[in-house]
Amino acid sequence: MTPTTEIEVKNLDFYYSGDIHALQKISLPIYKYKVTALIGPSGCGKTTLLRCFNRMHDLYPKHRYEGEILFQDKNILANDIDLINLRSRVGMVFQKPTPFPMSIAENIAYGLRLKGIKNKSELVGRIEEALKHAALWTEVRDKLNASAYDLSGGQQQRLVIARALAVEPEVLLFDEPTSALDPISTAKIEELVVSLKKDVTIIIVTHNMQQAARVSDMTGFLYMGDLIEYGSTEKIFTNPDNKQTDDYITGRFG
Amino acid sequence: MAIAPKKNIPELLFYSLTAVASFTVIIFIIGIIAVLLKESSLAIGKFGVVGFLTSTAWNPVTGMFGAATTIYGTFLTTGLALLFAIPTAIGIAIFVTEIAPNYLKAPIGIAIELLAAIPSIIYGMWGLFTLAPIMSKYIEPALQNSIGKLPLVGILFEGTPMGIDLLTASVILAIMIIPFTASIARDSFNLTPSVVKESAYAIGATKWEVVKNVVLPYSKLGVFGGVALSLGRALGETMAVAFVLGNSHKIATSLFDAASTITVSLANEFTEADSDIYLSSLYYLALVLFVMSFIILAIAKFFLLKAEKKYSR
Repeated sequence: MTPTTEIEVKNLDFYYSGDIHALQKISLPIYKYKVTALIGPSGCGKTTLLRCFNRMHDLYPKHRYEGEILFQDKNILANDIDLINLRSRVGMVFQKPTPFPMSIAENIAYGLRLKGIKNKSELVGRIEEALKHAALWTEVRDKLNASAYDLSGGQQQRLVIARALAVEPEVLLFDEPTSALDPISTAKIEELVVSLKKDVTIIIVTHNMQQAARVSDMTGFLYMGDLIEYGSTEKIFTNPDNKQTDDYITGRFG
Repeated sequence: MAIAPKKNIPELLFYSLTAVASFTVIIFIIGIIAVLLKESSLAIGKFGVVGFLTSTAWNPVTGMFGAATTIYGTFLTTGLALLFAIPTAIGIAIFVTEIAPNYLKAPIGIAIELLAAIPSIIYGMWGLFTLAPIMSKYIEPALQNSIGKLPLVGILFEGTPMGIDLLTASVILAIMIIPFTASIARDSFNLTPSVVKESAYAIGATKWEVVKNVVLPYSKLGVFGGVALSLGRALGETMAVAFVLGNSHKIATSLFDAASTITVSLANEFTEADSDIYLSSLYYLALVLFVMSFIILAIAKFFLLKAEKKYSR
């Protein structure tokens, strides 16, 4: 069975501050209901690429995209794209847990309210559903009104994932989601990522190569703003075509 | 010397100097309280505490004095000033941190700081010669002819619009405290981690939703601290208000009435006080202001600490 392409990146160039060329002619397909990992040394452009998928760069001045990113055949780099709508379809989870300064339940209700869901019982149901989906429900069911800051780092990160899931995105972007967590929390998040791919398409940036190998189906290796190699995770980690990829995954540099 | 380790002379000197410097603060405060108590003892003895605080009398001829009118004036001008200043200041802070393009941020920030650097006497003069005529000629008649016609609130806009009144004084006071409140609010907004803001944008929030639900809750402590500081400043502000408040010891019912605050009375009347009880009553007023400021500051600190405990982690 050939997977469907959810996102097609075509000849993408990205510039910071007018002239810093951060991504060069990137082209790759992102498959639906697969986990795609982006790996590479610091400063290679993997996070920059990730932040193109929900146009996060647009929050800051002086950036420039060239090329196309087709999301379900529509170019999301076009000027007439509704960013609010795009971001509710393409969710994002960051390096550090980013709960909002409100209760656990409110954190999840926040995104739902933005989508126009006001009905109290529907909110309650969707909150429970999202927390279950993010494997956090049993730990927080008794303290939904407690401050989100009372949770541990790993729990906060799962809360943030639940918050992102609650608005039912089609794609979920993870930007090194476990870099601030302990090994046990990390394992839980990884498990979660794998279990989520039956519902959403996932793109994950990670520094941790074992993590990429454990959770992803497809892997892209970036170096200095170029996509060096892209293929199935199994192939990239066992028999890469490119010498640089081989050097990186075997730990000879990076 | 228990605090200083007996090591060598420079070390000992260093400890003593810093300790002495710190203790002067406490000595000054104790000294101020002692002087205020001593000088006001005559008035305290004659009018008592409750009697002085509740009496609206202020009559140098009969020698009867009370603090109610000036306390009332102080709270009214301060309250109105905060009412005008807080929304404006928060608006400025939101615009500067979240909305303004980069080339506007610096000029507005510098303008706010310049506003804070203007001495209060300049505000007073400006209020007397520029703002008061404008208020009496245009703004106050306009208010009288619009909201002044409504029942209940109409009473606030009665009387001849002279321009030297509670409203003008509160506006001046508001302009004076806006820079403080705005710059503290701006600094607190900037403390909101950008990654938290980003994650709100990342689930499809608009700019307004991010400010309302993430930036404001995140920084409400800092904003509250800024408001408390402004409150303290507004309570004690003298010169700017003295020019445009009219120094009248009456309980004003209209915003167009003249009034007085504690500091304005002190500034205006110290040189006029011709009897011992008059002078002593003025010292008593100063003591009341001292205690009031202390209580307000203590309440603000208490809430800040409580909120800090709740959110720090």
